[in-house]
Amino acid sequence: MLKSKTFVKKTRSGGIMKIVREHYLRDDIWCGSEVCTECKQEETVLQKDTYIESNLCSFPHYLLPDTNIVLSQIDILEDPLIKNVIILQTVLQEVRHRSAPIYKRLKDILHDKEKHFYTFTNEHHRETYIEREQGESANDRNDRAIRISTKWYSDHLNNTPHGQEEKAEEFGLLTYRCEEYVKSLIANPELVDRLALTNDDKNEITSSKVLFPEHLPLSRIQSGIKSGTFQQGTFRASRDNYLEATVFVHGEGDDSTEVLIQGLQNLNRAVHQDLVAVEILPLNQWVAPSSVVLQDEGPKEDDVTEEEEEAELKSGPSGAASRKPTGRVVGIIKRNWRPFCGMLFLSQIKEATRHLFTPADRRIPRIRIETRQAATLAGQRIMVAVDGWPKHSRYPNGHFVRSLGSAGDKETETEVLLLEHDVPHQDFSQAVLSFLPKMPWNITEEDMAVREDLRNLTVCSVDPPGCTDIDDALHCRDLPNGNQEVGVHIADVSHFIRPGNAMDLEAANRGTTVYLTGRRIDMVPELLSSNLCSLRSSVERLAFSCIWEINDKAEIVKTRFTKSVINSKASLTYAEAQMRIDDANMNDDTTKSLRGLNRLAKILKKRRIEKGALTLSSPEVRFHIDSETHDPIDLQTKELKETNSMVEEFMLLANISVAQKIYDEFSECALLRKHPAPPPSNYDILNKAAKSKDMVIHTDSAKALADSLDAAQVDGFPYFNTLLRILATRCMMQAVYFCSGMDSDFHHYGLASPIYTHFTSPIRRYSDIIVHRLLAVAIGADSTYPDLMDKHKQSALCNNLNYRHKMAQYAQRASVAYHTQLFFKSRGILNEEGFILFVRKNAIIVLIPKFGLEGTVFFENKDKPSPKLIFNEEVPSLTVEGHSFNMFDKVKVTISLDASNVQHQKIRMSLVEPVNVNGMPVTCRMSSFQVNVNGMPVTCRMG
Amino acid sequence: MATVQVSEAEKVYILHGVRDDLRVDGRGCEDYRHMEIETDMVSNTDGSAKVTLGHTDVLVGVKAEMGKPRPMVPDEGYLEFFVDCSANATPEFEGRGGDELGMELSNTLYKVFNNRYSVDLKSLCISRGEHCWVLYVDVLLLQCDGNLFDAISVAIKAALFNTKIPKVHISEDEEGGKEIELSDDPYDCMRLNVENVPCIVTLCKVGHRHVVDATLQEKACSVASLIISVTHKGTVTCVRKVGGGSLDPESIFEMTETGKRVGKALHAPLMELLQEEESLGKKRQKVGFLG
Repeated sequence: MLKSKTFVKKTRSGGIMKIVREHYLRDDIWCGSEVCTECKQEETVLQKDTYIESNLCSFPHYLLPDTNIVLSQIDILEDPLIKNVIILQTVLQEVRHRSAPIYKRLKDILHDKEKHFYTFTNEHHRETYIEREQGESANDRNDRAIRISTKWYSDHLNNTPHGQEEKAEEFGLLTYRCEEYVKSLIANPELVDRLALTNDDKNEITSSKVLFPEHLPLSRIQSGIKSGTFQQGTFRASRDNYLEATVFVHGEGDDSTEVLIQGLQNLNRAVHQDLVAVEILPLNQWVAPSSVVLQDEGPKEDDVTEEEEEAELKSGPSGAASRKPTGRVVGIIKRNWRPFCGMLFLSQIKEATRHLFTPADRRIPRIRIETRQAATLAGQRIMVAVDGWPKHSRYPNGHFVRSLGSAGDKETETEVLLLEHDVPHQDFSQAVLSFLPKMPWNITEEDMAVREDLRNLTVCSVDPPGCTDIDDALHCRDLPNGNQEVGVHIADVSHFIRPGNAMDLEAANRGTTVYLTGRRIDMVPELLSSNLCSLRSSVERLAFSCIWEINDKAEIVKTRFTKSVINSKASLTYAEAQMRIDDANMNDDTTKSLRGLNRLAKILKKRRIEKGALTLSSPEVRFHIDSETHDPIDLQTKELKETNSMVEEFMLLANISVAQKIYDEFSECALLRKHPAPPPSNYDILNKAAKSKDMVIHTDSAKALADSLDAAQVDGFPYFNTLLRILATRCMMQAVYFCSGMDSDFHHYGLASPIYTHFTSPIRRYSDIIVHRLLAVAIGADSTYPDLMDKHKQSALCNNLNYRHKMAQYAQRASVAYHTQLFFKSRGILNEEGFILFVRKNAIIVLIPKFGLEGTVFFENKDKPSPKLIFNEEVPSLTVEGHSFNMFDKVKVTISLDASNVQHQKIRMSLVEPVNVNGMPVTCRMSSFQVNVNGMPVTCRMG
Repeated sequence: MATVQVSEAEKVYILHGVRDDLRVDGRGCEDYRHMEIETDMVSNTDGSAKVTLGHTDVLVGVKAEMGKPRPMVPDEGYLEFFVDCSANATPEFEGRGGDELGMELSNTLYKVFNNRYSVDLKSLCISRGEHCWVLYVDVLLLQCDGNLFDAISVAIKAALFNTKIPKVHISEDEEGGKEIELSDDPYDCMRLNVENVPCIVTLCKVGHRHVVDATLQEKACSVASLIISVTHKGTVTCVRKVGGGSLDPESIFEMTETGKRVGKALHAPLMELLQEEESLGKKRQKVGFLG
């Protein structure tokens, strides 16, 4: 039966359009229940035996939630206990419309066979379809549709199921409010904790006193933004001071400003990452950002005034020059709440069920949750979702989602780390795995027909030890004309991952493989990453090859790209390859090939450096992990061998060649990577640092910078140059992916290359897969597809990739930091030498080269009187009780682990040397200095 | 226009019949053929109607779109007409064959309908001088069996009656920036007042008398006809003479009088019928094109 759905829509251009869609009703939509004998269904989803012990209904029943329940209580529905639920199409559509993340979670539940969730397409069922009536709002219509369907089910299954929404009672249906029902589940009291608080509950919790100004309605905000009275921006809470935040206002083009927000009232319940509207305060109320570190210490009753703290806040430096635009939050445009990881802060009252939850991320306020299992949850890492923040509550209200495990446990901590950095790390779904090739996999005749057979070449791979996802291999051989042929062979991942399928979408979402200490979160399933795509030795593998003819001066005579089949002769580590090159006795083909490559690489590198490529430095450490306990037993800074740079050189060459090729072929939609030149002000700190040693660093061009870095040497202080390079690294901008059609500046500053992309690691980076596809189209080896040629879609993809890369880096650093802590935990107290990297107003930042560990050391302590501090911003130097600290000064510190706060374990450092003028060690006065492990160096990986 | 060949003998037969007020199909001179009307035929228009008169078949759709009022009349909306002479109706319309007729018909329709006395154009204004509704009236000829004007005018009146224009609301912010807001309830719409919309009565001079609703054969016997648009009160709003022959003033007067009488008699049952159909609402079984 045909019906039509009609609705009126306003178009973007302001016109009004009537849209009519055909809507077909059918008789063959089945109820999906095992109980049913009428429906001619082949398989059923809902079980016959659906017994959940409940006070309210002591008979088997199905649940039929309405939209609001799904939206607010998705955590309950996700609980493995809740099974046999009917999700109506109406509900599904409404959820999809109102919240994309919840829709995705609901879809995941629906796909889970264990959960027995059934989607009933009531909108297409002849008996349950209803049309909107006159005077009925869209919501009312949907509610009525839900009631009609519930009634239909009820009649159909002879009163077996019943729904939950209140209004259905007029139909004589069994309906309960979600709370009532969940509470009636006798056997499972813990489920109650996962209930989200609804409006009526919130009122009880909080006192009637209004703490915050009301948020403005969206319409007022929008007109305010239009007229310029309000600014729209992303709210960023301060890490160090819970009463301070900045709002990042995106202006036209590149110009964007930051608005400072200070004080609880002005922050007005905004949470980190929310999209908010701010009003700029009049000029006389502008303040300077305070340098005080303030942490919300304990639970505060709502009536405790905050004035004391606010006063403390305002006492910060108030020089007129340092004042910044200051504003207050008038409304929230979009909340960006996600479930937060953290720990429970138990209420002092023993029987209390309401507790405060402290998120691991310090920028997130504490959240009040209600739980009866506080005793069990104490000491565990848990996840909490925020439900709302009423204006008379000091803290937002939330509910318990799940426990991640006990705090301090390595598994749990890694989980927290991944969640907090938004790294997708679930196991690959069945849908994704279904696109894997069937094993045993072999190269077929068809594959051979379209590929070049390079199996006879002496190809080998050089990687770090323990590497299982080998995505590049090399070869080098002499040509009869005296030139040399060099080939870079990259795993042909795009052969296995076809555009648009579930595996491709998943990889595009993950964006990159994340390497944590002792764990790898793959971008593509392991079968591909460690087996079929990995270019291991003595097996035939599909590859995408970039082959150059290079003359004696390492100039490229000819470049060609081809899909190929290779058979690697050896998988070497950097050290093994180095040994072969150095060992004059070895003269086999592989070694000769390596020597040829090495010789050319040296020339290439020299030329690249002459052009102004930067050699920067960042202290990177590697842990030796105990194979049994997976605890770090030793730590070493990464050592660079000649072979490292040999492989790197050819990868760079391949990337540049490919970048040029795909840009020539697709000037609008090539995926490239750029590294913008930093603005001159970024170099301030580097210039000051150099000046302290009477040196001048030229920063006008990459070449000048590279040269002056090379020249900067201090006798008897070999580490100085490295320190300077570490500082230079901090001055750099982030390298980013972009779509060539959306940008005009392609320059890669660090590599001094006019164009660059990523081609050589498709197993671990999605960008490379896209580049492979572009290149394959360019050489006619593969067909194209619409999204590949759509610059807006590509640009959106680039944004995701940039975000994932950034988060992966943060996660990696956090993982290193965590393992550093574990390491110091096992080592006890150590004395180490370090260098002062930065000097701040009330702190110094010390780098310990041996561990690559860096920490901010504060000279102020809450409980003790502050020592006398004199800060000279020009030098910069900090004089503490007569002893002056300058950049690059050598200090000796004692390192130990402070485990007093389980959630934020800290590495404590105490100064041992230099001693102060009285001959007393400085440490005695300064008691302890905290090292903030989160402040790990910002590395700028080349390429 | 579709024409038929009529022999001399046939002509005489028709002429004699008309003289005696008995036409070939048994009608009197002032009788219409059997007429069928159905509204709300095409769901993606804002109003539509199909009229079958004898074998003449006409479909009219009205689409409301936002536009800018004409500078001379800033507080009025307006109508646009387009007549599509489908080759389905007669093979003569194939290619550009129907263009001329279509133009002629739409020009007449402009004259008859697009004025403030026929349609309440003021109600189509949304904001003075800036926004108004433009009603695009599309006429599709499906079958030609004479008397196109009358069938089209009845169909237009029915379609305008059926037209539902979504209600819009102009909101103004502090700076005077105007924003058009649309109600999300599809039932929340504006109806046109079609009381004064005229119907066209075509009178064919056959011999010394004139007939209403001439068939193609009768048309072939006639040298000239008069198109008269008449409101429900009997007011004549427009008169046009078509055809090659001449009419003497005396008979023009007579024909006008007849037109007024017939037109008045046509309006009453038409409105009654439309009201009745409307009152059936969604329960009405649609007939559509196959019925």
